[in-house]
Order: sequence, then C-alpha cells, then structure tokens
Amino acid sequence: MKEFVIALIAISFTVFIYMAAKKFNQRFPNPFTLPLLVGTAVMVIFFVAFQIDYDTYMIGGQWIEMLLGPAVVALAYPLYKQWEMLKTYFVPIMTGVLIGAVIGVVSGLQLAKWLGVEEEVIYSLVPKSVTTPVAMDVAATLGGAPPLAAIFVMVAGLGGVVLSPYVLRWFKIDHYLGKGIGIGSASHAIGTAKALENGEKEGAASSVAMTLSAIVVSIIGPMLVFLIY
Amino acid sequence: MTLIRICIHISVLYGFYFIGSWIQQRFDLFIPGSIIGMLLLLVLFATRLLPTRWIEEGTTLLLRHMPLLFLPVTVGVLNYLDLFAGSGILLVFIALFSTLLVMVASGLTSQWLAVRKERSQTIKKEHREQKITTGM
Repeated sequence: MKEFVIALIAISFTVFIYMAAKKFNQRFPNPFTLPLLVGTAVMVIFFVAFQIDYDTYMIGGQWIEMLLGPAVVALAYPLYKQWEMLKTYFVPIMTGVLIGAVIGVVSGLQLAKWLGVEEEVIYSLVPKSVTTPVAMDVAATLGGAPPLAAIFVMVAGLGGVVLSPYVLRWFKIDHYLGKGIGIGSASHAIGTAKALENGEKEGAASSVAMTLSAIVVSIIGPMLVFLIY
Repeated sequence: MTLIRICIHISVLYGFYFIGSWIQQRFDLFIPGSIIGMLLLLVLFATRLLPTRWIEEGTTLLLRHMPLLFLPVTVGVLNYLDLFAGSGILLVFIALFSTLLVMVASGLTSQWLAVRKERSQTIKKEHREQKITTGM
C-alpha cells in the first residue's frame, strides 16, 4: 500500500514537472529551456534539497521508464514517412550517417581514454550522438551508466544546436541535405527540432539521419568498443 | 474511444519491443531489443503488411512526449553529481568536440555525394533534351 502511494506521488510529480517545464519552454523558446533539461534540473535540485533517495523515487519512476522501449520502436513511423527521400538519396544519406557514427564513437572513446576516466564513464560517452532512449540502451549493454549517457546526449544535442549555425557556415555546408544529415547525426532529436525550424526538407533530412544514426550506432558502437579495447 | 485506441496502439508497440528483446536474448545480440523491434516494424510498414494508421495515434503521442519518458532516468544523474564537480567538466568538452566532428563529417560527406548525384542527373537530362532538340 505504501509503495503504491509513493509510486502514485512520484508519477504525478514527474508529469507535473514535465508539463510545467513544457509551458516554460513555450513561453521562452530557447535550446537551454528544453523541457528535459529544465525538468531534470528542477527535479535534481528538489531531491537534493529534500534529501529524497533516487531509489525511492524510482518506485514510481520505473513505470514511466517502461514506456521507453515502445517509444524507440515508434521511431519506425517517422522513418517510414521519409521513405521517398531515403530511397532517392540512399547513398549520400547512409554514407554520411555511417561516417558520422564511426567518428562520433571513436573520438569519444579515444579522448576519454586519454583523459583516463573510468570505464563506466567512457561507455556512457560512446552513444552520445543518438537519441536518449537508444543511447541509454546502448550504454547499458556496454556496461555504462544510463543516466550519464542521457546527460552526454543532452550535451551533444544542446551544444550541436547552439554551435551549428557557425560550424555549418564555416565548413560551407549549405545544401539542405548536408545541413540536415549533419545536425541529425550529431544532435539527434534536439537538433532535428532546430533543423525543422530552418525548413521542412532540412528537418526531414535530420529526422532520417537521427533515426538511422540510432540504428547504426547501436550496431557499430559495441563493435568498435570491443575492437579498440 | 481515443484513449482505448491509444492504449491498443501502445500495446502493439510493446509487442514489437518484446519480440525485439526476445530476439536479442535468444541470439545473444548486442543490438538493443528496442532497435530490433523498430526494424521489424519498419519492415512491416515498407512491405505494407501493416498500415501505419493501425498504430498512428499511440505512436504520435509517445513521440511527442518523449522528454517525459526520459525524465526518471536523467534524474538518476543525482547519483553522479560528484563526477561533474571534478573531471566531469572536461568530459562535457569532449562530448561537445566530438559532436562537432560528427556534424562536419556527416554534413560534408552527405552534401558532397548529394550534389554529385544531382549534377550527374541534370547532365543526363540535358543530354536527353539535346538529343530531342537536335533530332538525334
């Protein structure tokens, strides 16, 4: 009975924070007011302030987390909607995503290795360029920490969005396909939201890149880790 | 009615997730079960064995509120606050630098190949048009 009440409170609290964070983001649209970022920050501060244990919260939190698996499966739908673009530009899209995936995984691994951080942290860094639920799954498979993976995913998403206008201009990436694939491969869903603001075609390219990159990284990520280590 | 439909749609997604996870465990794969489930669903869409409208509403709902689903996990960073007080800041820079590398590499490669493809197509088209106008 006590567990049930805790679960109910935890779930309602999470939904409430999420809705408030969403409202806040609508009022002040900015990559730094993303609901996930604001919501996480508010909840972490709240739990630290009131000394609430994470395990206690997760009695309820796990019920929400359970929906992550189906949410990843659901990504098949947006990918299928871009079927025409995928067919027309299969080679350019696939090559770009593949190269990005390899560079993302290898550079993250190598740099962290030079820094001498512990393995759990390195493995959490590997899938940072893919959408959160997939990144957490990949990190867990490798022996990393899903919460850390989620944080690195946010860094990749936010950083990519904030810096993309400069980087793309600097490297003369001005074709909608180049821009969309670059942003989607590096900054997943957060980047795709930004690409959509820039234009429908760029957004579509980005969402294709984001989904393909999730598939590719989840396959080659572990392979590269075993190869390099 | 809509609520029931959404529940059914999400149950279907769950089904694919379970099948994916089962395949992963059965064959000891390192690809996450969720990705296997997604690929299965994609195949069914592409072969038109499953019309998208069968799961459309539940799918749209889940995708739209994805951040809510991540929240319980991201809050788990609570247990890693010490890390970010120390060398963690450097990790943030690594993640950032690596992200920019990916953006440039993917973007340039895709753009280069796409422009090349478009150019060869317009040349082919021009050839055809020339043949027609010159009557060859």
